Amino acid sequence: MLTTRSAYLFLAPSLALYLLFVGLPILQVFGFSFFDWDNGIAGDFIGLANYQRLLGDGVFWVALWHNAIWVVLTLAFPLLAGLVIAAILAERNANVVRWLAAIYFIPRTIPLVVAGIIWGWIYNPIFGLLNFGLEAIGLGGLGGAWLAQEDTALLSLNVVGAWTFFGFCVIIYLAAIQSIDPALYEAASIDGASWWRKFRDLTVPLLRGSTLFLGLYAAIEAMRFFDLVWVTTQGGPGYATEVLTTHIYKTFFLVGDFGYAATLSVVLLIIVLSISAGAFALLRKP
Amino acid sequence: MTKKTRLIQNLILLVFVLYALVPVYLVFLAAIRSEADLFSGPLTLSWPINFANFGRIWNEAGFATYFMNSVITAVSVTILVLLTAPLAGFAFAKLRFPGKEILFALFLAGLVVPAPSVIVALYGNLQAAGLIDNRIGVILPQAALLMPFSVFMMRTVMQDVPDELVEAAVMDGAGLLKIFLTIVVPVVKPGLMSLGLIVFLFAWQEYLLPLVVFQTETLKPLTVGAASLQGRYGVDYGGIAAAGLIAFAPLVVLFLAMQRSFVRGLTAGAVK
Repeated sequence: MLTTRSAYLFLAPSLALYLLFVGLPILQVFGFSFFDWDNGIAGDFIGLANYQRLLGDGVFWVALWHNAIWVVLTLAFPLLAGLVIAAILAERNANVVRWLAAIYFIPRTIPLVVAGIIWGWIYNPIFGLLNFGLEAIGLGGLGGAWLAQEDTALLSLNVVGAWTFFGFCVIIYLAAIQSIDPALYEAASIDGASWWRKFRDLTVPLLRGSTLFLGLYAAIEAMRFFDLVWVTTQGGPGYATEVLTTHIYKTFFLVGDFGYAATLSVVLLIIVLSISAGAFALLRKP
Repeated sequence: MTKKTRLIQNLILLVFVLYALVPVYLVFLAAIRSEADLFSGPLTLSWPINFANFGRIWNEAGFATYFMNSVITAVSVTILVLLTAPLAGFAFAKLRFPGKEILFALFLAGLVVPAPSVIVALYGNLQAAGLIDNRIGVILPQAALLMPFSVFMMRTVMQDVPDELVEAAVMDGAGLLKIFLTIVVPVVKPGLMSLGLIVFLFAWQEYLLPLVVFQTETLKPLTVGAASLQGRYGVDYGGIAAAGLIAFAPLVVLFLAMQRSFVRGLTAGAVK
């Protein structure tokens, strides 16, 4: 491999952009969090006082809890769906695979803002398709104002999140399955293994790497998603769908509390960086 | 495989096809219906197709402008990333230099940085630089936020370029930039295509940055336009559906036309 200092010239443009618009703001946010702010002007250095405020901020803990629920739900549902679908598709002919994978991925191409609007209608208590469908099969009693009730809002939104994510899981798992040696499956078939046995004893363990990758991806997305909540519920009703990003947005743009918004940003950064550090450690292990 | 297993499998595939497509179909249906029979009638396509909603949204609600703005922003971000990330990917994959590991780790850490967590400082910086309500104020940060992913992906792509190819050219006395442009770029063209498509997709979908940076209506992209339409014309469902369709149809068409290239890009960072 060539050793050369002109490598820095190759790095310079992307590094400059990255440091100026991502690196610098991260350092600033850290700095901001140690000051008292008044109308966008830094006042006294107050040490960790903003961090102490976190302890008594109920909305922060509720938001964090919602992010945690979102992480678990995303790990459970879209990943599992993607794995099962990919395992089924692995044994179908190439044209079927190509078309179905494309169809499953279509929701991911739709901007979350638009996804939120579409699903907002499906969940609408007056004309929404969901209540209409439930009534049609005699379960009208289960219907409700899905996004406007505290007990169903977060779960209903998560269904939308999963809708945009499971197709991505299908594609990642499919690529990995297609790189597995088919002889392994043939050998299992000769031994008379059922589809389920092959799935459990071959596919799932062999796709461990992809599962870790998707798990990391899902967890990070679950910590940083914003658009979907903002266009549908803005964190409501009450604080039923409040997450860290909406809490930051409101604290900064609506309340104008720069120092505390920065503190929340630091917490969010520490969480995502810890998650990814942990996942990388796992990925390194054979 | 038993008949029963196969039946269950097909059922699973079908349920998820419906999950993926029914919401898309509903928007399409709402967009081409007249207001009178929006909520009446069966869930089948009506004939003749009514394009009134599209015309109204496109001409009167400013969606012709929003559309152009989405094109301008997404294309600019894509070009900017394509001009910068492949160079860095090449350096990380094919060159040796002091500080390489640290610099790569720096980019790697950026993979997970949430835009909302930097917005608090970024907003002030953009304001100080006079870039609020300016296209540059969205294009540069957007490209920067996509940079870690792009550099990471380009490194993976460049690793597939044979070392001998580069070394032979160095022996011939060619400069590095010339080698990159005339030897490496032609080999990794499919990878560049994938990167361009994915960056375009993400840039088109972006909501938070344009939401906070743009104040002038004539600068806003489709995502911001569609979201504010919901507030302004809350009951014009046909119009909102048409707006939503305008906001995502180009992406769906682009994806279906270039599926192979998209998938290559999506899996480039994951499989290795």
